[in-house]
Amino acid sequence: MSQTVNVLEIRDLVKDFPSVRAVNNVSFDIKRNTVHCLVGENGAGKSTLIKVLTGAMPRSAGRILLNGEEYTPHSPKEAKQKGISTLFQELNVVDQLTVAENLTLGMEDTRFGFLRKTGKIAKMVDVMNSLEPSIHPRMLVSSLSVARKQIVEIAKAVATESDIIIMDEPTAAISEGEIARLFKIVKALREKNVTVIYISHRLDEIFELGDYVTVMRDGRHIDTKPVSEIRDRSELIRMMIGKTVFEQYTPKQEACKDPILQVRNLSNHKLHDISFDVHEGEIVGFYGLVGAGKTELARAIYGVDEYEGQITFKDRRLAASPDKAIKAGIALVPEERRSQGLFTILTIRGNVPVMNMKKISRSGFVRASEERAVTQQYIDKLRIATSSTEKEASKLSGGNQQKVVFSKCLFADADLLMLDEPTRGIDVGAKSEIYGIVRRLSEEGKSIMIFSSELHEIMNICDTIFLLFDGRLKATLRNGCDIDNEKILHIVTGGEAT
Amino acid sequence: MTADMPPARKTAFAGMSNESFLTFFMIGVLVVLFAVACLFVPNFYLLQNIINLFANYWFVIILGIGVTFLLITGNFDMSVGGVVAMTGVLAVYFCQGYQVSQNALANGLGIPYGAAVALALAGALGIGALNAFFIARLKVPSIIVTLGTMMIARGIAQVVTRGAQRNTSLPDVFGVVGNTFIPGTSIKVAVLIMIVLVVVAFIVEKKTVAGRRTYLIGANALAARLSGIKVGRHLALLYMVSALLAGITGILLASEFKAGLSGRAAGYEFDALVIALLGGVSIAGGFGSVLGMFVGAIILAVVTSSATGLLLSPDWQFTLKGIVTFIAILAQRLALDKRKG
Repeated sequence: MSQTVNVLEIRDLVKDFPSVRAVNNVSFDIKRNTVHCLVGENGAGKSTLIKVLTGAMPRSAGRILLNGEEYTPHSPKEAKQKGISTLFQELNVVDQLTVAENLTLGMEDTRFGFLRKTGKIAKMVDVMNSLEPSIHPRMLVSSLSVARKQIVEIAKAVATESDIIIMDEPTAAISEGEIARLFKIVKALREKNVTVIYISHRLDEIFELGDYVTVMRDGRHIDTKPVSEIRDRSELIRMMIGKTVFEQYTPKQEACKDPILQVRNLSNHKLHDISFDVHEGEIVGFYGLVGAGKTELARAIYGVDEYEGQITFKDRRLAASPDKAIKAGIALVPEERRSQGLFTILTIRGNVPVMNMKKISRSGFVRASEERAVTQQYIDKLRIATSSTEKEASKLSGGNQQKVVFSKCLFADADLLMLDEPTRGIDVGAKSEIYGIVRRLSEEGKSIMIFSSELHEIMNICDTIFLLFDGRLKATLRNGCDIDNEKILHIVTGGEAT
Repeated sequence: MTADMPPARKTAFAGMSNESFLTFFMIGVLVVLFAVACLFVPNFYLLQNIINLFANYWFVIILGIGVTFLLITGNFDMSVGGVVAMTGVLAVYFCQGYQVSQNALANGLGIPYGAAVALALAGALGIGALNAFFIARLKVPSIIVTLGTMMIARGIAQVVTRGAQRNTSLPDVFGVVGNTFIPGTSIKVAVLIMIVLVVVAFIVEKKTVAGRRTYLIGANALAARLSGIKVGRHLALLYMVSALLAGITGILLASEFKAGLSGRAAGYEFDALVIALLGGVSIAGGFGSVLGMFVGAIILAVVTSSATGLLLSPDWQFTLKGIVTFIAILAQRLALDKRKG
């Protein structure tokens, strides 16, 4: 088949969320039997676009044509029937079953409710062997590596005659050697009459693998080009970040004071030999793409995950458990607000004082009047929109919920605040309020670590920027007028720091 | 049952937390049930009968305290019935005279009463420690662990009594605490102990930091850990307290009958669970109260005793408990849904 026919045509596609337009009038074509890469920063709208394509979300407006026909999937299952399969980061295989059982899962041949061995299994196994002969159909899937599980899923998609396979960051969790094998398979898929939509943050992969690349930014379609027409990484990066105007960062006048936190040779299952200092009153940012190890770093320092290496806080070795970290003067605003930070079924009053109950109790008894006063004080200070201290936390908006989590951490009287994705999923107004709070805290002498996958957030408020890639600390930059966001993107997408 | 909440009164409950609302709702249900029972069952309204409602349920209510606290954290304790039997049997065995008879079941260890009781309670705490170790340290689901310790505890009671009971060669002092009455009344001291324990539990639950921790763990165990709460240690403490309360219940019951029965308190773990659920405690954790559990116990008492009063055969008790549980929980759902919107 030729590579000139469009398998998928996207026209004026729009997806609106309550506060934001995630996909904004996107139109482009995907040609048959190509590897079509989709790139963009976090929040550019790639994931939302994919969710619409796979039927996981309805679109707000626009058209999609699949093989020239109108395509409106209502569920991932329907998308699959029409020929679009997806390889998610969370793999869709059952560990306890064999490879063969996984291949036919959901489409077993039966008679009177009993399974039948039919040619279907053999056919699927043939397809899999043509991709990767070393996987035996009787093997238990739990014994396979992540990469091999991916191959089982790809084989299943090919055997069920999918026209399009969407791969969402397939290399994020697999090793170097396995990446090479996966690439071989992806290239081989072209001959099997399959089009691949390939999403990755690792730009080198695009040059190695892609036929076409589509760049998205802020929900818009920037360009779609043959990869051969793109000169180098920097051109791609420029397309990804555009001429974004950052809110002006004003560097701190005074020189930095003593270090409050010293991390030396920190390693664990996800982190490799990380060392850095955080000074009093300093705002430091950790920037990296999904899977770079930001959350893992925060969790290790806070004592949630195990690690090797040494962490010194206020000249004393930090014990590895959250209660001890809090006692020493560290507080964490976790990544997942609702599941890790907030007690949603309790009231605001039930949430705010929990990290420092000593302060509102005498010999084990809670002082109700102090508790209410403290809660009210934080409602006023952080301007939490609520009618009373007794409102259930689940009934607040995302931004106000985040402010409650902030209140919790502020009330802990911490000297070092760790903020993991502090503004994820909250609206623009609440965002800038939270930046204001962070700046004020730093002026009060508190040290702040921000872990974020939004570059403008980091460039907006951080004094020092640490760049992470693949669990390693790749570069340390002082924020200021000479900061170069192209260079930053170069490093966090796997390029070498110079 | 749902009819006692006319919409006009709803506004008066608007400022209340869901928990207080449910407690008041269940008190309403209790009042209605009591009124109905008074209409149909002769002499149901008599003070003595009302006292009996409490007096006949004191042991389940004491067990319900530990079970309620654990349910609020999102955990079960199914071992309490077994612990009651084990502690009672052990106390009797420790206290029985040493080599006083040909009958093996009449021979004990001859330990003085106070020490015997202390040792038996230590045994109860041992079961609590097992629960704590497996649930708080090894993170095994509590329902599995406490079903296991339930059988271990009852098994020990069976072995020590050879599947029957021990009731001879006991010193007189053994029967004192279970058969003492509050002066001038026909109310046992055990009932008074139950009421004191409920009041203490209520204060702990509502007024102390430990009470807060219980709710925080149930509301979101991960967030509790990240907020610096030692989740494992708190759960361990609660399992020890629950086992201790069950142990005390076992001693009181053994004293009342001056006997240690291997089959004592069979099924009480379920009764304790049922009264907690009747009182609005959520199995999902983070929600409920000891006061609600107390009201739940009285509701169950009113229903079962009025049924007996209506000459329903006692064989119907289990079915009746089941039906009451379903109706009450449906009613709570409806009331809460209506309140929300």
